[in-house]
Amino acid sequence: MRLLAVTVSIGAALLIMTATPSYAAGGDAIFKKSCTGCHYTDGPAKEKTIADQLAKKGPELWYAGSKFQKDWLAAWLQNPKPIRPLKYNSLTEKNAADHPKLSAGDAAAITDFLMGLKSSEVKAGAIKPAESAQARNIYAKKAPCGGCHESSVNGKATGGKSGPSLAGASKRLNPDWIYAYLANIKAFKPVRDMPDFASVLNKKDQMSLSAYVATFE
Amino acid sequence: MSRFLIVTATVLGLTLGAAGSAQAAEPKQVYDFYCAQCHGIDGKGKGINVTKDFATDPRNLTSSSEMEKRSDEDLRGVIKDGGPSISKSALMPHWGSTLTTDEVEGLVKYIRKLCDCKGK
Repeated sequence: MRLLAVTVSIGAALLIMTATPSYAAGGDAIFKKSCTGCHYTDGPAKEKTIADQLAKKGPELWYAGSKFQKDWLAAWLQNPKPIRPLKYNSLTEKNAADHPKLSAGDAAAITDFLMGLKSSEVKAGAIKPAESAQARNIYAKKAPCGGCHESSVNGKATGGKSGPSLAGASKRLNPDWIYAYLANIKAFKPVRDMPDFASVLNKKDQMSLSAYVATFE
Repeated sequence: MSRFLIVTATVLGLTLGAAGSAQAAEPKQVYDFYCAQCHGIDGKGKGINVTKDFATDPRNLTSSSEMEKRSDEDLRGVIKDGGPSISKSALMPHWGSTLTTDEVEGLVKYIRKLCDCKGK
């Protein structure tokens, strides 16, 4: 009988180990304790109405591992600088630059946890960062991203303020995620104040624009 | 039996009605969420995105003299298909694949309130 109990316990422990994703020890626990007041990580997207979106205090992170670059994320969590000029969901208040600053250890553990959160919408290796005349024309004229997004032009923030800044996208964003986001924005954000450009830009446009944004310093 | 049916139908109707109203956003909420970033919360065309880098002046939606030149159908068209559909700037994007027909109709009515005018 004791043997049976031991066997069952070991079996249960093995099951738990194999069912648990390979997060660094503690990253998910630290996240649950400190971050879930503003961010959710259990996808797919939950927002169905504008009110749902406005109720959020920060961006959803259920696809963070597909969206961000790991080195950038670990560094940013230790020294967070505003990505959005404005407070999340506000058109009037400036970003207060008050995101909590984490220790190197906590940042590394949370980064490992977040980088494990992938979206099947994002196909690896589709986009290589590259500039092109076609993409510059799309960005400036055909689908003027700068209307809502800042970028760095000669070291100066240039462009609109309602969206997240694209300055530094080459270090922050996964180029394959940029493409997946343009191609199927509703899968990531069913309710957002950015238009769905998939019906205006063909696949080639989307790919060249993604590659271009992925070069932004 | 008939009373049971009436009660059931009423409950079902109330449930569906409640679900429907939960989905349909108020026109002001739709405007503030999608349009105000460029046209401004007050509609005067000075939204937060309109910096010196913004290549055009978003329409002042409170200008009755400007807005009465446009028909409601013109407004529907430019909201859905964007500025290029009427040879204007692509900075006015197409919202047709984002907004529902009801939301567009609500916006047309809301814009008519902002300008306090009727279309041509």
